[in-house]
Amino acid sequence: MSESGGASNGAQSASTNGATPIQVKAGRHREATLYEALHGAGAGDGRTLAQLREAALRVYESSELPVWRRSGFWSTTLQDLDLEALETSVQEDGVPDVVTRTLPSRPRAGRIVQSAGAVVQVELDAELAAKGVILCSLEQAFEQHRELVSEWYSKRVPIDRHKLEAANAALWTGGAFLYVPHGVVVEQPFEIVYAIDRAGVAQYGRTLVLGGPTSEFRVHEYELAEDFEGQALHAGVFELYLQDGARCRVAQYQDWGRGEVFDVSTRFVGVGRDAYCHWLPALLGGHLVRQHLELAVTEKGGDMAFRGLFFAEEHEHLDVFAVDLHETGPSGGDVHWRGTATGESRASFEGLIQIDPGAQQTHTYLQIHSMMLSPKARIDAIPSVLVSADDVSASHGGTVGELDETAIFYMQTRGLDRAAAVRVIVEGFFEPLVAELQDEALEELVRGRVAEKLAAAREDIETYATSR
Amino acid sequence: MADLEIKDLHVRTDEREILRGVDLEINRGEIHALMGPNGSGKSTLANTLLGHPSYEITEGSITFKGEDITESEPHERAKAGLFLAFQYPVSIPGVSVANFLRMAINAKREEPIQVKEFRTQLQHAIELLDVDKAFTSRHLNDGFSGGEKKRAEILQMAMLQPDIAILDETDSGLDIDALRTVAEGVQRLHDEQGLGALIITHYQRILHYVKPEFVHILMDGKIVLEGGVELVERLEREGYDQIRQEVGAGTAGAVAAGDSSV
Repeated sequence: MSESGGASNGAQSASTNGATPIQVKAGRHREATLYEALHGAGAGDGRTLAQLREAALRVYESSELPVWRRSGFWSTTLQDLDLEALETSVQEDGVPDVVTRTLPSRPRAGRIVQSAGAVVQVELDAELAAKGVILCSLEQAFEQHRELVSEWYSKRVPIDRHKLEAANAALWTGGAFLYVPHGVVVEQPFEIVYAIDRAGVAQYGRTLVLGGPTSEFRVHEYELAEDFEGQALHAGVFELYLQDGARCRVAQYQDWGRGEVFDVSTRFVGVGRDAYCHWLPALLGGHLVRQHLELAVTEKGGDMAFRGLFFAEEHEHLDVFAVDLHETGPSGGDVHWRGTATGESRASFEGLIQIDPGAQQTHTYLQIHSMMLSPKARIDAIPSVLVSADDVSASHGGTVGELDETAIFYMQTRGLDRAAAVRVIVEGFFEPLVAELQDEALEELVRGRVAEKLAAAREDIETYATSR
Repeated sequence: MADLEIKDLHVRTDEREILRGVDLEINRGEIHALMGPNGSGKSTLANTLLGHPSYEITEGSITFKGEDITESEPHERAKAGLFLAFQYPVSIPGVSVANFLRMAINAKREEPIQVKEFRTQLQHAIELLDVDKAFTSRHLNDGFSGGEKKRAEILQMAMLQPDIAILDETDSGLDIDALRTVAEGVQRLHDEQGLGALIITHYQRILHYVKPEFVHILMDGKIVLEGGVELVERLEREGYDQIRQEVGAGTAGAVAAGDSSV
């Protein structure tokens, strides 16, 4: 793999102790330069759920479908989405096959499954329930735990930036609510599942997770769809707030299958005082996926590891905007993403480190590695650093690689055929992140999906390799 | 017919012809040394034998165990029982030595190897190569020292049990302890498993630990001199220049080429 600007070479570094407070990397159309941290709409202004829904509905009805542009050559547009033709359904029968088929059979703390607009399965370990853990639909949470939910709901997620965010805030049904109280430590993961099993569905998924002080737990979120013909939409919002000393590992397994699924989602993770979050989205498929992912240290001593991997194929379009936000210091951050693309897919990853005024003694690093496997695929990786404090370190780096023919020959001389050698290289490329899932069942699921995608793109990869 | 027969092999890259008619025969259980100055075509021969795509065979043939493999894919040659220990082993990040070995072994088999059998073999190879057990859980060649990389090559050779192994300057860049371990490993695989080996080297050092029965000297893309182990001693005394003058490499052609009993 060739380095196109390694950790120190060609990377922009912002480690200042002088008076210059703000550093902005050049780039006019870059989202980061226009960026403001998600400010929220819920608890801050005291509106009720009904009032928030109503306000969001007005935005939804009066706004157009969003377009994201950057750098002149990249745009994510929803012009092909026929939103009018989609329906939200709140009557669903049972857990869709794709869920049963995909999710590993393994011990778990609990599971909640939403199909289209309805929650179809909720289960929670009885011992955990006795300790005060709550896992239920968000609708039910608003009925039974109103005070708790109202304090956090939409605390940091806006309802009005664009039509689909507003649609979620106005129209969500079902939803998931997980609360792990003070001091409760849970070993097995909580599974939160959103599934779409047919075309024509608009799914507005809404998840709220609260980690009480010193709680420790894992969340595995799955987003799955059957391989149907036709369009569907998932416009999701995910919020996770970790209070003092809480520790959480969040993994997101996204595979929307071969149907025409549009996914426009916003996710916010807030890390409180001395809390820690390890967050790893695995974005493994979707016709058009736009993710705004924000991991924020909101109080002193918070620390985070923000990982992610993506694999775009065929005609898929993936647009990730990932923010490593430090609102106060001392705090720690470490962002590490890896992605590849085959077919004629497009993937754009914009990573932003933002250190707010006063967030002194923040130390963070962002790296993005991409591997090109196809002549017509394209990956754009755009790192940015916005620093407004003077006693911090923040830098970024990355690599752009292609298949290494020497490595392929090496493995061939050990008896692996070319396809197997390619697979070893690409799996090895993702492995540092996959191993960080620290969950064998989920690791196997991700590895297996990567292998399937490679097998599907075999000819394409071959053509590319021999054409160089 | 010898197990590995190289006949009148001419090889070129995009730029130039490198091998200009090489003849060589190697059998299981035989240790051959191929020596020659830099640029004589030693590594080209090694890579060509395993089918490296950058080298084009313009004339001649390679036959292995009776099959013409001149046009075979590299992995087919490996499965047939050829092995190449690389001069510069490639790092494979994200794949542990043990997992890679298991994949390579399974590539040669119908049924995947049993866990227990694999462990036994691995344990044996680890002892042979004098490496730490933790070595096998590290990513292959990733961050390895020069000596570790060469040990890993011989470890793979021990596990894959080829009929004929080509060792491309395995001795270069090794300290004396590592050299001894690696060389003794090769010798034991020869003694225990009947490995045939073509040891390619620029220097004589490794040949103090592995005793070749046949020595070939390659210059300017041709084998110019062949003999027994006494040739190594002569080379040590006289150097390549003396031999070059004597054989008139490049003009007079090979002396007794193709006859390894000289």
